[in-house]
Amino acid sequence: MNGLFGAETVDLVATWVAALVTIVVLGGLLGERRLFGWSQHLLAGLATGFLALIAVTEVIVPRLVAPIADGGADRLELWLGLALVGATAGAPWLPRIVSAVPISLVIGSLAAFALGGAVIGTVLPQLVAATSVDGGDTASLATGAVAAGITGLVLVGFLHGVPRGRVLTAASSAGRWLLVAGIGGWLGYLLLSRLVLLLDRIGFLLGDWLGVGR
Amino acid sequence: MTERRPLLLRPAAPALLVVALAIALVVPRTDALRLGAADAVPVERWNAALDALPAEATVLVAHDPDLGTYAEIRPTVRIALADLMARDARLAFVSLTPEGRALLVAELARLERGVVNPARMLDLGFVPGAEAALVSLASGPKVPAGAEGLIARNLATQGTGAIDALLVVGGNDLGPRSWIEQFTPRVGDLPVLAITPTVLLPEIQPYLDSGQLDAALTTPRDGAAYREAVTLGSLERLREPVEPSALGVLVGLLVAIVVLGQGWGARVLTPLGGASREHEHT
Repeated sequence: MNGLFGAETVDLVATWVAALVTIVVLGGLLGERRLFGWSQHLLAGLATGFLALIAVTEVIVPRLVAPIADGGADRLELWLGLALVGATAGAPWLPRIVSAVPISLVIGSLAAFALGGAVIGTVLPQLVAATSVDGGDTASLATGAVAAGITGLVLVGFLHGVPRGRVLTAASSAGRWLLVAGIGGWLGYLLLSRLVLLLDRIGFLLGDWLGVGR
Repeated sequence: MTERRPLLLRPAAPALLVVALAIALVVPRTDALRLGAADAVPVERWNAALDALPAEATVLVAHDPDLGTYAEIRPTVRIALADLMARDARLAFVSLTPEGRALLVAELARLERGVVNPARMLDLGFVPGAEAALVSLASGPKVPAGAEGLIARNLATQGTGAIDALLVVGGNDLGPRSWIEQFTPRVGDLPVLAITPTVLLPEIQPYLDSGQLDAALTTPRDGAAYREAVTLGSLERLREPVEPSALGVLVGLLVAIVVLGQGWGARVLTPLGGASREHEHT
C-alpha cells in the first residue's frame, strides 16, 4: 500500500501512472532500454523541478524576499543572502572570482560543521564509551581491542609510498582485505534494501493496481 | 569451430525473478516464515523509550529517508507515527533534504486522509543547509508564518525546550549520526529514537551501545516485530493492509546468493575445465 487511500479519479490516475512507470522500469530488466531511458529522464526532470520548487517556495521567497518586502530592507544579511543567490544563479555568466564565493562558503561551512560535530558528537563520546572500564566485562574489552586492531590494520592499508618491511606489507594487505570485507557487508545490507524495494513495487502492481489479494 | 550461443535463461532470468517474487507475494503466509519473530530487545528498548515520554509529549520528527530504501522502513515509520499519536503525542515534522521533503509531503497527505487530528501535527517544512541547518534548528526551530496551535506556540516561545524527544527517520546523508553530532550536543539531554534501513545498522550500532541513541528499529525484522506488538486503537486505519512478505525476501536472497555463487563457481571451475581439456589433448 503506497498511501493512496481513496477511489477518487485523481487516485485512480495516480495509481495508473505509477503502475505504468513501474512496468517501464521493470522492462529495463528485460532489455527495453529506450522507454527505461525516458523514465530516467522523467525522474531526473521531476527531481530537478521539485528541487527548484522548494528552493523558491520554501527558502528564497519566505526567508529572503518576504522579509525584505515586509520592512526588512535595512537588514544587511538579507541583501547579502540575496546577492549570494544571484551569484549562484548567474555563475555561468559571472567572473569566476564572484561565482566561486557562494560555493566556497557552502563547502567551507559544511566542512567546518561536519568536522566539529564529528569530534564533539562522535569521536569524544565514542572514545569515552569505549574506554570506560567501569562495569565493562572481559568480552566488551576484547571486542574493543579487536575493533582497535581492525581499525589500525585498515588505516595501515591506506599507507602508500612508504618504505615497508615484511610485517608492514602483511598488515597493509590484511587491512585492505578487511576493508573489502566491510564493503561487502555493506553491499549485502544494500542488497536487502533494494530487494525489499523490488518486492514493494511488485506488491504495488499486484495489490494496488490489479487488486490481487485485496 | 563452435560458437557458444547465449543461453535463453540469461535474458529471461530477470523476468523469472519478478515472476518468482510475485508468486511469493501471493502465496498464503505461514508462521514458519514470519518476519516478526525477531530478537525482542530492540522493540522492548523502543517501547521503553516511548513509555518514558511525558504525557502529550512534543516529538520532533526529522524525516529524511532515501527513495531507494524507504520501502524497507515505510510500514514501520507509518506505524511509529500512528503509535505516537495514539499515545497523544504532538508531532512537529522537519526535513533537511529535498528527497526527505518529497516523501514527507506524501506521508502528511496520507495522515490527513487518515483523518488524524491536525492540531497534533505541525509541518516545519524544509530547512536548507545540511549540518548548518541542524545547528540553526538547535537554537530553535523556525515556526512557519501563519502556523497556529499549541505546538507552534510552544516552539515559538520555548524553542527546543518545547521538544520532549527526537525521532529521526534516516536513510539519507542527514540521518541519526548527523543529528547526534550537530543537534543533541547543543540541546542537552533529549531522548533520540531512530528508524533506519538495514544499510545504516553499522553506523547506528555504536550510538546505541554508547547510549547516545535511546532506541532504534533498523532491520525489517525489528520493524515487523514492533508492528506486530503495537496496538493503535482507533488509528488502526493507518496500518498498511499487507505486511511485507518474508517468503519474497527469502526467494530474492536465495537468487542473489545463486547469482553471486555462479560468478565464484565459474571462476573456480574454468581453470579446472581448461586443465581437463589440456589433459585430453595430450
